[in-house]
Amino acid sequence: MDERSTATEQLEARVREAQVAGGGEQEFMLDVRTQDMEVNFGPQHPATHGVMRVLMRTDGELCTGAQPHLGYLHRCAEKIGENVEWLQYLPYTDRYDYLAAMNNNLGYSMAVEAVLGIEIPRRAEMLRVICAELNRIGSHLIAFGTYGLDIGAFTPFFYAFREREWMQALFEKICGARLTYSYIRIGGVFNDAPPGWLEEVALFCDTFEQKWPEYYDLLIENQIFIKRTANVGIIPHDMALDFGLTGPMLRASGIDFDLRRDLPYSLYGEIWKDGAFRIPVGKGEKGHLGDCWDRTWVRMVEMMESIKIVRWCLAHIEEGPVLGDLPKTLRVPPGEAYVGIENPRGELGHYVVSGGDKVALRVRVRGPSFTNLAVLEDLLPGSLVGDAIAIIGSTDIVVGETDR
Amino acid sequence: MALLENSFEENVLTTKVDWLINWARLSSIWPMTFGLACCAIEMMAVGAAHHDIDRFGAGAFRATPRQADLMIVAGTVNFKMGDRIKRLYDQMPSPKYVMAMGACATGGGPYYKYGYTVMKGVDRIVPVDVYIAGCPPRPEALLEGLMKLQEKIRNSSVVRKPARTA
Amino acid sequence: MDFQGINDRLLVLHAPGLLGADEPRPPDPADKKDKGRSGDPYVLVDPQQLVPFLEVCRDDERLRFELLVDLTATDPAVDDEQLWINVALLSVTHRHRLSIKCQLPKADPVLPSTTPVYRASQWHERECAEMFGITFAGHPDPRHMLLPDDWVGHPLRKDYEFPKEYHGISCE
Repeated sequence: MDERSTATEQLEARVREAQVAGGGEQEFMLDVRTQDMEVNFGPQHPATHGVMRVLMRTDGELCTGAQPHLGYLHRCAEKIGENVEWLQYLPYTDRYDYLAAMNNNLGYSMAVEAVLGIEIPRRAEMLRVICAELNRIGSHLIAFGTYGLDIGAFTPFFYAFREREWMQALFEKICGARLTYSYIRIGGVFNDAPPGWLEEVALFCDTFEQKWPEYYDLLIENQIFIKRTANVGIIPHDMALDFGLTGPMLRASGIDFDLRRDLPYSLYGEIWKDGAFRIPVGKGEKGHLGDCWDRTWVRMVEMMESIKIVRWCLAHIEEGPVLGDLPKTLRVPPGEAYVGIENPRGELGHYVVSGGDKVALRVRVRGPSFTNLAVLEDLLPGSLVGDAIAIIGSTDIVVGETDR
Repeated sequence: MALLENSFEENVLTTKVDWLINWARLSSIWPMTFGLACCAIEMMAVGAAHHDIDRFGAGAFRATPRQADLMIVAGTVNFKMGDRIKRLYDQMPSPKYVMAMGACATGGGPYYKYGYTVMKGVDRIVPVDVYIAGCPPRPEALLEGLMKLQEKIRNSSVVRKPARTA
Repeated sequence: MDFQGINDRLLVLHAPGLLGADEPRPPDPADKKDKGRSGDPYVLVDPQQLVPFLEVCRDDERLRFELLVDLTATDPAVDDEQLWINVALLSVTHRHRLSIKCQLPKADPVLPSTTPVYRASQWHERECAEMFGITFAGHPDPRHMLLPDDWVGHPLRKDYEFPKEYHGISCE
């Protein structure tokens, strides 16, 4: 307190001097020095998308330094992988990126299948792709809704959740759970689709396709949104590659790379050859290439492309078995494999090492949000506090994935 | 927070006052946004239009603990976060309630056995009023938990005996 | 390029630290105990020369691995004297991947940090260091990443003992 009172006294003395020198009351400008403030942004904060803490050093409204602190949701997933059996680990995979649980299941199952070397029945592959893409839509809907909430727009949140309720009802019909499915298992999928499910998915696609332009106009083309997000948080081409970004963050910076097309897995190679979908790449329409608006735009357009992929699968799906014949206690032959798939957030990689036992030797989860978040250390300094919120929201992180 | 503890004998006036205060409290429980993990998504779904929590009066999610009545601990608590939870709980003004949503907040959840840094239940650091089971619990389960809490408030008394203090 | 092509290119470039390659193989019929190895091929590299090796991978025209996808470690067994470092690289231009493995002695796991080559490895190395006790020499920010700052022990090692309590709260 002493420091501040002497500073106030000094300021008053300077004001008096200036007044005396100026000959009474008149206008003058003083160079006011303020102190930098360290602000704890998180871990409990509505805009951090979970429990993440960013220690920000601010000079007024300008952020001069940022240090993300993680670990508030560290749930020891990798240690658990070394202690439970292969099939028992599947529910834990749901819970790291809980918004896109189907994709997590898919990544883990594919990694184990790569070591096992088994074939998946075709109907199972179709159902896998349908569920993964529907979940991608659900995840991008939350990105769209909560990003609007961060920026200050409350309405998109309700529309996003309305669509999501339908998607969750579909998933509940097929596997019984709304959020953490454990549906895609090693060797196929757990359950066949109940009668009428595929028709309902088609109805969902038709309805969503009509609603999507409304959401696009509501938030993405909104002038306030554009002013808040265009030219903010620009990630240039080299920085994106150096930081190892993947997913919409990479594509928004103008780099045309998507694992579904370039290193295809499951049925995506076939779907791409049929020309069923395209990959949106940021063009810098409203501002500089690689800004927050581009990232949100990429996610919005990807929702439409996912609808096209689901439609292709609905047109080509046939009857057949859905789960390969695997023993209840699975013993995977010794070996190791790394399989990376395209999660809604980027490349989700599973590196599994097997020693020939019924328990894995090592399950490493490479979460895209973990790598994508590192870019904040270089992006936030130099931006205003309001822009910092916009940047953090545009990285679309899920803290379950950064911390595992 | 027994305002009039032992000052008056229980009579018609004090029970009516009790009823009124309890009705006011249970009809406007303002939760704090405290979603930690997957249960937070179901909590957001409860706040959205389909399973509307606003019809219970609890729709105003406050970001700051100073203005909140209810802390819904939705998600896994680990040791690093536990310190902050305790601090946030202390910052809430009385009367305050805690709801442990989901298996992780109740007793560690699926991370019970090999989670070295997971706290086996949030009731090791804060007193919990209502436990909601599920992984994650359905939004309807969260609403039932809220209704149970409302019942608890309805049966509490400002006059008769002290309710659970901080 | 497939793995054979990448391996040949690395040999042609005399990539520093390249010790060999390991590819999946079926079980050896002569040896009953050998179950073979399935999965993905990888390249074995000397850990002390990992930094120049990664520079070659990143800068060569035909390889062009611009993205460091993952840098992690593995503790194969309690009685095994080695720790593995696993690096996964990805090329956006040529659309191929590479898996690299280095072996470190468990008693003294030190190797130079790869942050000068890829900025992405900064956080991955921090996590590796706290989980396995590996020291990355020259790392700009060696704090704890996911664990509390005063956590004792390296959890992902096979001989890790689960704690009984932390700051007075029981872990049982």
